[in-house]
Amino acid sequence: MSNEFIALAVPALLLLSAIFILLFGFSTHYTKNRGYFITLTTLFIAFILSANGVGQKYSIVILPDIFNSMIVYDTFSATFISLFLLGGFLTLAIAKSFVDKTNFFTHESFVLLLFSLFGMVILSMANELLTAFIALEIASMSVYILVGLNKNSLKASEAFFKYLLLGSFSASFYLLGLMLIYAQAKSTNLDVIAEYILRTELHSQLLIVAGSMLIMITIMFKIAAVPFGAWVLDVYEGASLPITAYMAGVFKIAVFAFTLRVFLKDYITFEAVYDPLIIGGALVTMFVGSLLAVIQKSVKKMLAASSVVHSGYILIAFASIGEATSSAASAIMFYLFAYFISAIGAFGVLSYISKGSDKLINYDDLDGLAKTRPMIAASLTIFMLSLAGFPSTIGFIGKFYILTSAIEAGYTFLAFFGVLSAFISIYYYFKVIAHLYFKEAGHVEVHYGYKVSLAFIVLSAVVVLWGGVGTSLLLDIPGINALNELSRYSIESLGL
Amino acid sequence: MSVLSAIIFIPIFAAIFLFFVNLHITLVKIVYMLATLTVAYLAVRLYIDFDASSSMQFIEQHAWITQYGIKYHVGVDGVSLGIVMMNALLMPLVAIALYKQRDKRGYWINLLFVQGGIMGAVLALDLMLFYLFWELMLLPIFFMIGLFGYGKSNFISMKFNMYTIFGSLMMLISILYMAVEHKEQFGFYSFALDELKNITLTTSESLLVFSGFMIAFGIKIPIFPFHTWLSDTYRSAPMGIVIVMSALMAKLGTYAIWRFLFTLLNETSQELAPYFIWLGLFGLIYFGISAISQTHLKRMFALSSASHLSLIVVGFYIYSNYGLIGSSYFIVAHALSSAAMFLMVAMMYERVQTYTIESLGGIAKVAPLFALFFAFFALSIVGVPLTAGFVAEVLIILGAFEYNTAIGFFAATSLLIPMLFMFKTISKVLYGETNEKTKNFQDLRAHELLAVIPLALLILAMGIFPNYFIKKIEPTAKAFVDKKEAVYYE
Repeated sequence: MSNEFIALAVPALLLLSAIFILLFGFSTHYTKNRGYFITLTTLFIAFILSANGVGQKYSIVILPDIFNSMIVYDTFSATFISLFLLGGFLTLAIAKSFVDKTNFFTHESFVLLLFSLFGMVILSMANELLTAFIALEIASMSVYILVGLNKNSLKASEAFFKYLLLGSFSASFYLLGLMLIYAQAKSTNLDVIAEYILRTELHSQLLIVAGSMLIMITIMFKIAAVPFGAWVLDVYEGASLPITAYMAGVFKIAVFAFTLRVFLKDYITFEAVYDPLIIGGALVTMFVGSLLAVIQKSVKKMLAASSVVHSGYILIAFASIGEATSSAASAIMFYLFAYFISAIGAFGVLSYISKGSDKLINYDDLDGLAKTRPMIAASLTIFMLSLAGFPSTIGFIGKFYILTSAIEAGYTFLAFFGVLSAFISIYYYFKVIAHLYFKEAGHVEVHYGYKVSLAFIVLSAVVVLWGGVGTSLLLDIPGINALNELSRYSIESLGL
Repeated sequence: MSVLSAIIFIPIFAAIFLFFVNLHITLVKIVYMLATLTVAYLAVRLYIDFDASSSMQFIEQHAWITQYGIKYHVGVDGVSLGIVMMNALLMPLVAIALYKQRDKRGYWINLLFVQGGIMGAVLALDLMLFYLFWELMLLPIFFMIGLFGYGKSNFISMKFNMYTIFGSLMMLISILYMAVEHKEQFGFYSFALDELKNITLTTSESLLVFSGFMIAFGIKIPIFPFHTWLSDTYRSAPMGIVIVMSALMAKLGTYAIWRFLFTLLNETSQELAPYFIWLGLFGLIYFGISAISQTHLKRMFALSSASHLSLIVVGFYIYSNYGLIGSSYFIVAHALSSAAMFLMVAMMYERVQTYTIESLGGIAKVAPLFALFFAFFALSIVGVPLTAGFVAEVLIILGAFEYNTAIGFFAATSLLIPMLFMFKTISKVLYGETNEKTKNFQDLRAHELLAVIPLALLILAMGIFPNYFIKKIEPTAKAFVDKKEAVYYE
């Protein structure tokens, strides 16, 4: 299978399947179950296809004559595409009970999910600012509507409206920035811009600096960095749990994928201008996020707030990209893997135990779960440990890489503040564990059914552990080293 | 798989097995005994095979995270051998003494887990591996206090957890800093102890790195002023974990000072040694005096063991042959005595349901065997002659006198403080009139005797024939002192 074929087949498959469900939804043969399984199968096949492209190092411009070098398929995008598809698959697989028990998962919601994944796939392959914008908007639009799926919930509608307004507003900054860059560099292609930046003196390319700054605002908004992330708590709270998982675990990573590409190709040449801003952003994001997470009473909102903190950690690595390019960039990749699997797992557990109700899961709702459902409690514990960066989980290795890259870049104080906010995070993550194990059960034993969802939760937990200790010494399954190599290949395939 | 890996992973795998397989509680205890006895057997074999003429042995090394040069690298020397032996021997004895009191699976699973974690931390020679186990052993302690603790156990387990993790994270930054420095100076990442010690740091860098490590170790031990978690945690924790904390975990902190700080930052440690010796002496007196005023037995012994741990820190920082041998001997001796003492307290609690000294009395009349062992272990903690603690204390005091007469004088006199509260406790608990609670005090039963007799014999043996035990530590001490002098003459 040639890589070119994969690059075209995956988005095409997602698109066709989406259109098929869109039409099939009006037929009398359509049932929710069928729509669900068609989506799941599509994601699975697409994942298998794209996973073929992971592992070797390559970079191909897809159909340069037709697309005018707008789209590049390299190991970097292949890795991210596989990650998105896996994320979509896992979210949906774990959310089976949720989908069954609610009435707002109509066929359009599956269509929107597939459309948003299509947007992300294109986003990660985009080598051109305009394409990236369109892909980002396709993904965002779909996610906006997914947030508001539950029409009967006032909170969901509020979240939808808030997200839509702020999101569209922030997107306009991107367009403005794009225009400024185009005005000076006369191109929107990342490679051409990079060349222009290298050729020109820093002080004579003010438009590019200003434009990139505006694009940064949109990115900061999408990854919910403080102060642009004011929407995050309400939106994550309002959206139904699988969608929250999807936003935190998949959509955010898609934005980071694009950011990483832009950073490594263009921003890196004038990182001296941006470093102070990113450092400040990282510090503020980590601390405000930590504060928000500490004061939350519901686990869902706590996870939402803590996802802000995780954006802060990743910003540390972005700040270090200038001085320690390869280690910081692969640290970001690895951290995204780590956060992806832990967040999907954690939100997945919540959606599994909430059984389709739109109530917030408070800490008290977890009381005594360890006695009634030991496997779920153990899995949630593992996800919490991983998010807290406790050794022997993948989250620790991710933090380890990020902190090392920060120290390597000479930002020891940033690493120190990162550690401090990791310390604060111990409080709110361990609070979940304490509620799971130390409190007496307040509720009667519930049968959740859905062994498949449970199996995927446990599988994610095993992956989290294996990513933290895995080595070929024990079993011949790709472990830390393989993941590390994967992220390094991806970064190198960008042609640096 | 070498013997060291077996010692580390048998308990951990047994714990994982017990978590997944829902066995009856009797079977759980049997699996626990099988696992810990295997470990004990392996540890005794290790002790016999240990070559008394060289330092680091049984080294095992595998690549783990290759890009960053992190290895699975374990080995044992004279000092760590003592802690390994204690960990291996105490765990089955604890179970023998307490098996009737505890009928929860989680209790035994967590004890197995903590055993494996401590073994790993003691044997690790790679800083990342050490950090992994150092953190991992926290988790079972957190669970044990939260699940089986007394009083405000949730709050206390969280406080303990946050406290110690704060220390660990400070240490993490120091470790990472050193690794990055190693990369800058030698071109590749390494976390191996014997490679990291080659890097050169400026004075301020090494001070910062040193304090990162020292905060972690100081909290675990605890040395003054990081002790505020101590008495609540000991009071609330169930006995199994109290024994682990006082006999093993705290010792690990002192051991880590020696193993990591003295190896990695030898010169800085030597420069700062006087401050830590005085801090240790202050702790010795401060904790001793605090212990006098306690009426709660667990808290009292917690403070008393903190006071002795400060002495161990002093012994290490004295930086001499006597100090080192004395301290590592004291680690073992105190582990034995304090574990035995806490076991006696646990047995007493099972009978009278109280820890307050005031409500006890006259036990010697009704339970002579109990009284005998209680008094023996209490005296062995203070270090009366013929017990292991005596040898260790004499060695440390000799070292202290060699270092500085004033410090020697202080160390020797402040050792009288533990006598004060120990004799007070013995007289209040064992003698006097019996009351409602103690008049039906049952004497030691067979399984309890089975647990305490080996401990008593070992304490006596270590007190009467110290040479046999010390000769295993000597080569390590010699290598260490030679190295120190090499630095001195440079």
